[in-house]
Amino acid sequence: MRDRSPQLRLAQRLAASPVLTSVLCVVLALPAIATAADRVDFNRDVRPILSNNCFACHGPDEATLSGELRLDKPDRATAPLPSGAVAIVPGKPDESELIARITAEDDSLRMPPAEFGKRLSPADIATLRKWIEQGAPYAVHWSYRPPQRPAVPPVPASHAAWAQNPIDHFTLQAMLARGLKPLPEADRYALVRRVFLDLTGLPPTIEETDAFAANNAPGAYEQLVEELLARPTFGEHWARKWLDLARYADSAGYADDPPRTIWAYRDWVIRAINSGMPFDQFTIEQIAGDLLPSPTEDQLIATAFHRNTLTNNEGGTQDEEFRNVAVVDRVNTTFAVWMGTTMACAQCHTHKYDPITQEEYFRFFAIFNNTADADRRDESPLLELYTPQQLEQRRELEAQIARLRESGDQEALEKATAALKEIKPYTTVPIMRELTDKPRQTRLQHRGNYLDLGPVVEPGVPQIFHPLPPDQPPNRLVVASWLVDRANPLTARVAANRLWESLFGQGIVASSEEFGSQGELPTHPELLDWLAVELMDSGWDTRHLIRLMVTSATYRQSSQVTPAAAAADPDNRWLTRGPRVRHSAEMIRDQALAASGLLCRKLYGPPVKPPQPKLGLSAAFGSSTDWTPSQGEDRYRRALYTTWRRSNPYPSMATFDAPNREVCTIRRNRTNTPLQSLVTLNDPVYVEAAQALARLALAQPGDEREQLIYAFRRCVLRHPTEEELTALVDLYRDALAHFAERPVEATKLATDPLGPLPPELKAQQAAAMTVVGNVLLNLDEMFLKR
Amino acid sequence: MDLRLKQLEAITRRHFLSANGLGLGAIALSSMTGGATATPPVSPRIDPTHPLAQRQPHFEPRAKRVIYLHLTGSPPNLDLFDYKPELVKRDGQDCPAEFLEGRTFAFTSGVPKLMGTPRTFRQYGESGAWLSDAVPHFHAADIVDEMCFVHSMYTDQFNHAPAELLIYTGSPRSGRPSMGAWATYGLGTENQDLPGFVVLISSGVQPNGGANSYGSGFLPSVFQGVQCRSQGDPVLYVSNPGGMDRDLRRRSLDALKTLNELQAAELGHPETLTRIAQYELAYRMQVSVPEVMDISRETQATLDMYGAKPGASSFANNCLLARRLVEQGVRFVQLFDWGWDFHGTNEGSGLTKGLTDKCATMDKPIAALIRDLRQRGLLDDTLIVCGGEFGRTPFREGRTAKSKILGRDHYPDCFTMWMAGGGVRGGLHYGATDELGFRVVENKVHVHDLQATILHLLGLDHQRLTFRFQGRDYRLTDVHGNVVEDLLA
Repeated sequence: MRDRSPQLRLAQRLAASPVLTSVLCVVLALPAIATAADRVDFNRDVRPILSNNCFACHGPDEATLSGELRLDKPDRATAPLPSGAVAIVPGKPDESELIARITAEDDSLRMPPAEFGKRLSPADIATLRKWIEQGAPYAVHWSYRPPQRPAVPPVPASHAAWAQNPIDHFTLQAMLARGLKPLPEADRYALVRRVFLDLTGLPPTIEETDAFAANNAPGAYEQLVEELLARPTFGEHWARKWLDLARYADSAGYADDPPRTIWAYRDWVIRAINSGMPFDQFTIEQIAGDLLPSPTEDQLIATAFHRNTLTNNEGGTQDEEFRNVAVVDRVNTTFAVWMGTTMACAQCHTHKYDPITQEEYFRFFAIFNNTADADRRDESPLLELYTPQQLEQRRELEAQIARLRESGDQEALEKATAALKEIKPYTTVPIMRELTDKPRQTRLQHRGNYLDLGPVVEPGVPQIFHPLPPDQPPNRLVVASWLVDRANPLTARVAANRLWESLFGQGIVASSEEFGSQGELPTHPELLDWLAVELMDSGWDTRHLIRLMVTSATYRQSSQVTPAAAAADPDNRWLTRGPRVRHSAEMIRDQALAASGLLCRKLYGPPVKPPQPKLGLSAAFGSSTDWTPSQGEDRYRRALYTTWRRSNPYPSMATFDAPNREVCTIRRNRTNTPLQSLVTLNDPVYVEAAQALARLALAQPGDEREQLIYAFRRCVLRHPTEEELTALVDLYRDALAHFAERPVEATKLATDPLGPLPPELKAQQAAAMTVVGNVLLNLDEMFLKR
Repeated sequence: MDLRLKQLEAITRRHFLSANGLGLGAIALSSMTGGATATPPVSPRIDPTHPLAQRQPHFEPRAKRVIYLHLTGSPPNLDLFDYKPELVKRDGQDCPAEFLEGRTFAFTSGVPKLMGTPRTFRQYGESGAWLSDAVPHFHAADIVDEMCFVHSMYTDQFNHAPAELLIYTGSPRSGRPSMGAWATYGLGTENQDLPGFVVLISSGVQPNGGANSYGSGFLPSVFQGVQCRSQGDPVLYVSNPGGMDRDLRRRSLDALKTLNELQAAELGHPETLTRIAQYELAYRMQVSVPEVMDISRETQATLDMYGAKPGASSFANNCLLARRLVEQGVRFVQLFDWGWDFHGTNEGSGLTKGLTDKCATMDKPIAALIRDLRQRGLLDDTLIVCGGEFGRTPFREGRTAKSKILGRDHYPDCFTMWMAGGGVRGGLHYGATDELGFRVVENKVHVHDLQATILHLLGLDHQRLTFRFQGRDYRLTDVHGNVVEDLLA
């Protein structure tokens, strides 16, 4: 404890004095002078102030409640306190202790306390005053009310030609209300590249680009969208996003971080998305596929979603401790992915901001606390997977064995039995399996400590949400259905918002990971609800929602920014221009491989090991972090298939903000750093791509201008301007001159690591074109949608 | 641009406005009541185009930079710095039941035997510090009297990875930003041509927490530790591809700049200009990083003082590199040295020869680092921190109880760490454990308190250095931590 100053002690004594309090009340009438006449909206205006500044000590957590005051509940906020004061007297701000305390000048009296380092702004104080003046009406948090389909607003005649579908009606209304205007459609080249990258994660070819640019038929764009939605690359691209949520990785985590075989789950996600599986089914199979009646092999594989939790194999660890950690992660991930709700707080104490108690946390925990997995090194229970041919062989052998048993031919029987054993599964996958004989009892864990147990809790869901059906056992299957129930206020909103974020760069709720009282408010609440209801009404057809979004005029806008537009809508929150967002780490790599013609388009299978620098290190108590690179086409697979080692994520992708997938990542960072520049300039993967691009360009008929145009278009697809072409020609010629005297360097730059040049190519030209290719792969445009 | 950086900018811009322009009501009020002055800003003001630009601390710092020496695995403090003669007397007796009840240990069950240190302890320096014979280079008065020992450290974790994550990120689970990331987030860095947070790893094994131990968690990745190496590329991908020299790189970057500027002019996106700046910075790093990482530029006398050898990747080299890096204005240098997990399962992890040999690779370079910084005038504002992730048991570990080699198990309840330089009281012995080394009996210091203190020395208030993520304001010390004022000079 620090010594308290005599002044402070005096102030504390005085704080008890009613005289001083009333003096302060008089002084504090001041800041309310300059306020607008608007009606204060609790959810929009008041809740964020209370949540950010007060709920930590005056919120739902009764254990740490200060002065018995709760400000999250109207009956408690307006009741007399032990001191006799009343925090909120509706209609009477001057009699409300809350106003007195937030405006107190004395550090020992003022709320929030000085040690929090926060002080309410005059604007916040004015808002709270006005709210109390208006009777201090409370409202249920917006995202806890189930969405209703709002009426689609009309479009003024001035913009009738612009709007394409209901989305545009909502965005236009918001723009016009703020004196903003939309932009016209982007040019064909920008649009085709944008929609290819957004739907498949890969750019179009030059041929596909030119075909679209030449097709002015009505509906040409919609037709293209249909075609892209049907490509297998669509499933690969959108699976990658889901794998961040599923914290999918090819290693078990913690110190030694051993390899884990679970790629069958990754392939399941790709197939599920490509088959158009509705989101409710997608949900149920992953959370509880094993509890479905006679589950199929695929439905069992789907449950690996929650087997992506870490396993701690470090010597001396308690398996029960880390089994508990895994269950905690399943609870937190389930709430984060489906309901945009941070549950982690409630593990240790009742949530300080949202109405979720610690007991409710462990009631939900109980639902996930009954599976057979237990932080074992072998990752059991595992499902063994056999090819159809293997299954056929097994069936034949089993039948044969049965026959031989009857016939008594011992020698043949042994032979057949041995042959059956020889058939090994082509892979295995960890799955969820419910304990039926001896279900685990769940107790509340004090402060989230698995050794410090409290009372037994029954499985259930937090009271603030719709109840579980009373006539069914509260297990994972029932909870999975509860997640996608029409009455669930969050799931459809959260899912629609995430799709929106993928395409537009930021969600309608910018904090896509948090829809609770600490999250951001939606910029377009009606649009979000309309999309959420549309998602449910379509039978949870996510592809339908994606189609609606990418065919909207809002999405198709040009992304050009004028200084005035940038000033009026700096972050494009009001969608006054097309999305222009940095690509993910995976897209940057895939695009470089596609542009250079190296990309292998093989789908599915075990993870691959593209080249990475040797670091000469080992994982703690584990094996080397270096790997022997895959050979042949596996060097050039889509980034989605790269072996994901949690303690050592693939370095070039980590630099571009790929997460290590230890926990669920709802939203990735998008940074812009010099280390990224070093990756795309010097990483042998990108150097190899530049070399391959150079060889393709030099194989083109025509002069150097035509070859340079070809190389340029393979990267950004549009035609270069004359100025751009001049810059490329100058660079190519300078590089040619540079290599004229340097044959050794030329050969090195043109062939390492791609390999020897074809006989018709000269090292000087190939090296000079590699320099150009290296520049092209680093164009700003290559990192962004345009 | 990164969304979080944008949010930060918006938040800080709002704050700036309210403190300087619109907050007249508050200013008028405070003058009327003669009240306290307004509290300083809560979040650092990040310039998205130069996120590592130097920022003002919350208050006057005692240290401008940190060198954190992590002895991965946790050294046996009872055999180095925390002398327990009573434990020596009771060597071989059963461990008293009171220390075992309701407890689990990593590799010990049943009733283990107490084990006094096999090392010889004596007092050194004017401060009279008890040091063992395992660390002879610390015996000199000008070294030991520079050290500020905390004998009363404790943690909540007794397995390596969670304990290491707790000490570096404030949480035993992965996913939070590390101390160096928080420091560079709060302060930026002095030299824009080098990373602000550099990580150096020796003995061939990465830390227990993997890259998480120096990661940026949910902070923008620009704040994560950059691993620099003395072999191969000093920073990944810093070298041009074979066949491309620096002139040609310059020429190609000029062309790239021209092309990107044409795009910026056409589409008007400010982020394009940011990207151009990043390429220029990368180009400068291509020179500055190899230069600072090249210890062959040091005199033979300096190399000898550390025991460093150009081309090797030893703890000694890394100590010398740490000095070179802080000298060049790097904010936070984090060393990890593997091999301090003294279980006694083999001779190398035994308390006699094993500890002697391992310490010989550690105490000489650290003593050299302290002297080198002092003679360059850098010690006063460079904080050195050294220790492991937890303590080791006062009893023999279970697995090796019958072996000739002595070892100790993991122990979270007490351990020793030391600091030196920037703003700490050299020669201080803070806190104490009981006569057997089982419990802290005086001035407990949790790892969150240590974190709060390190940030405090850097001029940062651990309660105010926060980042909003998933609806919560996170900080290094989670919801804990007190600055240990007694350690401050």
